[in-house]
Amino acid sequence: MLRSFSPLPRARLRLPSVRNFSISPSRQELSPQHAIYVSNSVNPYFNLSLEDWLFRHKNHQEPLLLLYRNDPCVVIGRNQNPWKEVNMTALKARSIPFIRRRSGGGTVYHDLGNTNYSIHLSRLTFDRHATAELVRRAISTLGVDVRVNDRNDICVGNEKVSGSAYKIVNQRAYHHGTMLISTKLDTLGALLRTDTETMVTKGVDSVRSPVCNLRQFSSTIDHETFVDAVVSEFRREYRVDEPIRYVNDGEGAEETDYIRNGMAELPSWDWAFGQTPEFTYSIRPRFEWGEVTIEIRSKHGIILETRATSGHSGAGLEELGRRLEGHKYGFVEEAIVKDVVDRDSRCRDVWEALAGAMETYNYQP
Amino acid sequence: MLSLRRRPLQLLRGRPGRGSSFHSSAIVWASRKVLQKFKLADIGEGITECEVIKWNVKAQSPVQAFDQLCEVQSDKASVEITSPFDGVVKELLVQEGEVAKVGQGLCLIEVDEESLDDSSKRFTEPVSPPPHQVQEAVQSKAFETPPPSSEVSQEAPQPRERRPHPLDPSHPPDAATILNSFSKNVLAKPAVRHTARELGIDLNSLAPGSGRDGRIEKEDLERYLADERKDSAGSPSSSAQQAKESGDVVVELGRTRYGMWKAMEKSLEIPHFGYSTTLDITSLHSLLPRLNACIPPHYLPIPPPSPYTSVNPSSIHPAPSPPLVPPSHQFTKLTYLPLFLKTLSKAMSEWPLFRASISPRPLSAPQAKPTLTIRPSADISIALSTPTGLYTPTLQRVDAHTVFSLAAQLKHLSHLGRQTPCGLTPAEMPKRGGTITVSNVGAIGAGDFAAPVLVPGGGVAIVAIGRAKWVWDVDRGDGQGERRLKVGVSWSADHRVVEGAELAAFVECWRSWVEVPERLIGEAI
Repeated sequence: MLRSFSPLPRARLRLPSVRNFSISPSRQELSPQHAIYVSNSVNPYFNLSLEDWLFRHKNHQEPLLLLYRNDPCVVIGRNQNPWKEVNMTALKARSIPFIRRRSGGGTVYHDLGNTNYSIHLSRLTFDRHATAELVRRAISTLGVDVRVNDRNDICVGNEKVSGSAYKIVNQRAYHHGTMLISTKLDTLGALLRTDTETMVTKGVDSVRSPVCNLRQFSSTIDHETFVDAVVSEFRREYRVDEPIRYVNDGEGAEETDYIRNGMAELPSWDWAFGQTPEFTYSIRPRFEWGEVTIEIRSKHGIILETRATSGHSGAGLEELGRRLEGHKYGFVEEAIVKDVVDRDSRCRDVWEALAGAMETYNYQP
Repeated sequence: MLSLRRRPLQLLRGRPGRGSSFHSSAIVWASRKVLQKFKLADIGEGITECEVIKWNVKAQSPVQAFDQLCEVQSDKASVEITSPFDGVVKELLVQEGEVAKVGQGLCLIEVDEESLDDSSKRFTEPVSPPPHQVQEAVQSKAFETPPPSSEVSQEAPQPRERRPHPLDPSHPPDAATILNSFSKNVLAKPAVRHTARELGIDLNSLAPGSGRDGRIEKEDLERYLADERKDSAGSPSSSAQQAKESGDVVVELGRTRYGMWKAMEKSLEIPHFGYSTTLDITSLHSLLPRLNACIPPHYLPIPPPSPYTSVNPSSIHPAPSPPLVPPSHQFTKLTYLPLFLKTLSKAMSEWPLFRASISPRPLSAPQAKPTLTIRPSADISIALSTPTGLYTPTLQRVDAHTVFSLAAQLKHLSHLGRQTPCGLTPAEMPKRGGTITVSNVGAIGAGDFAAPVLVPGGGVAIVAIGRAKWVWDVDRGDGQGERRLKVGVSWSADHRVVEGAELAAFVECWRSWVEVPERLIGEAI
């Protein structure tokens, strides 16, 4: 099988010591046929769309590596429930978005202290363990002794420093993961600690593990040294001898149709919330006048049914429940139920408890 | 679902309006409609089920080959599944949010029968390939193949071993020759690929074809064949002349080699799959000298002097006299092979499947459903390479023999084999044969792994044992590493009878005996 060569870099790009800004003039067509990409953009919508675009457009047989960092955001897996996985109150307090990615797996927190790697391979040669080992080897060259656990996560002792997820299509597959270098772990904890234990959801639950930063084990590890180490190991493993293709904001990459559509889709309600699998949330708020049991059933982000029962008369509550059906979970305007809650103070109490339970933070970039 | 013709007298075969006309080529295409159950294939990595996240098609909607059908999720992997055929999705068998088990049907697709391959009647779409070179051959045929591990295994490296990357120039040629016809984005329907393969046409040389998106259609194949026939018609006898001229010698196959030829042709009926691993025989290695020191005297050609001088066990009553062992059975040194056979028989006792053989079909009902005959004891055949040819004599009831007794039998077999003409008789090579065959190629060359071939009557599995070598095992010695003696073993099994997972588990059972030979003491009667 012949290896196809990407075009030789133009003369003005041949200065490998210069990092983090490209010398070329601002408008250079981004080709998906390079082998090693490092994104200097910290826009999570852009980076995820770039990753997907490279995934779909690179030659099927050739390996590709992408490394990037994001501004603070929470990234949930393709088939996860954001209300179950993410603390909406904490998100709102910090104005941090959550984003649903296209690969499976669990929920992670990204900030500038976390570097993401993404290895794309032909589906034939894709092996989760081998790619995890590649990253492990890269880190050990930086002087930290890490191991790969049985879920193919990279750990130091019992604490995770990286989480992984995969996407597999017809001819191609990728393994991407996070790497905690110097992430704010307290923020991570606050955002990923939820109080929705009574939410029962289909879809994928995150497997929670204690985490730590690589910086705890070596003062010389940072984003740049990690990127260098992974690029070297990737070059060695797949015998790729190409220079790094840096991708920057403002170069026009975000105008590629596919990437632009991706950046528009990711924050849209249809993708972010509308892909939520079916779930049921039961709460039992207590009021001075008594206790109410509320069960909300939702699928694809739409409320299918709300059942509110209490020892006291339930006529108003039934009406309240009916009003909510068909509306977007977490996005119900008070106007929908205004007359019911105005009539009956108990219904108002119940409505407020419901609205609180359904709290959602919808970030629009 | 057959689409019924208006005129029941003219029931089958032939596209509407075509009557019974035939192609000019030898291939006749039928076009009945068939309902294909599209199953979720084995993902590997121990995953047995996936959740269907999203269907991209609805029931009763048309779908083209390569269109996305659905997306499923398995633990951390999100997988897109594309349609293998052009057709109409008739029914979704698993709904969004539901879990589909591996092997379960995902949906029913109605297709033209012509767009199916014989083997794709049992179609399953591989969701994610096991790190297995066999899977490469499957993947590259895209959508026409039988369940992943049933193709002839070209090479079967152990799962975690570094395989040469496809871009590696020293990539093994056998995988490449298969991949060659099917890789590189050459689009063609499964039936077209199948025909091309049978006729030995390289699809790459035909690309791009006349179909949609450059797909190669059957007309392209026919045109190619017609052109070829024109070329070759001019020189029919030149090849024969060339052979005579260059000093080549034509040799007829001897009886045994021709027997091997016929047996191997028959072996093509058997769908093989392979599995290899290395066994740590350091414990066996340290055991050997100790066992050699206590070979029972009756097996030794020169018995040692009796240890008893003043007293002896026969003082009050004759001690049981040892059996008479003919000289051809006697040996001085134990080798690993009897130990491998003994441990294998222990594993076979635990696994009835590997004590099974395919029952011969009764002559009265040749189309009857096949049955397996499971025998109570472990019969193992040995591949014996002799000056007169390759034979596979059988050791009967290995589980009832001691290691020394097995060593004696092996000695005798090799003695018989060394005779010219061959001393092996039907007594040593019964028709029934063993259920597992062992080939000790390590005795011939320093091989690591092989791809042995089963013959009908040779049992359900065959293992080739390589040559033992000392290696540095980094997993032992608390991370410091240790010098261990390891030997590569390569298995091939009959996939009509044995599942990949079963073979792997059986080999692990065998390993638990080989790597901990002290177990034989605990189980000794």
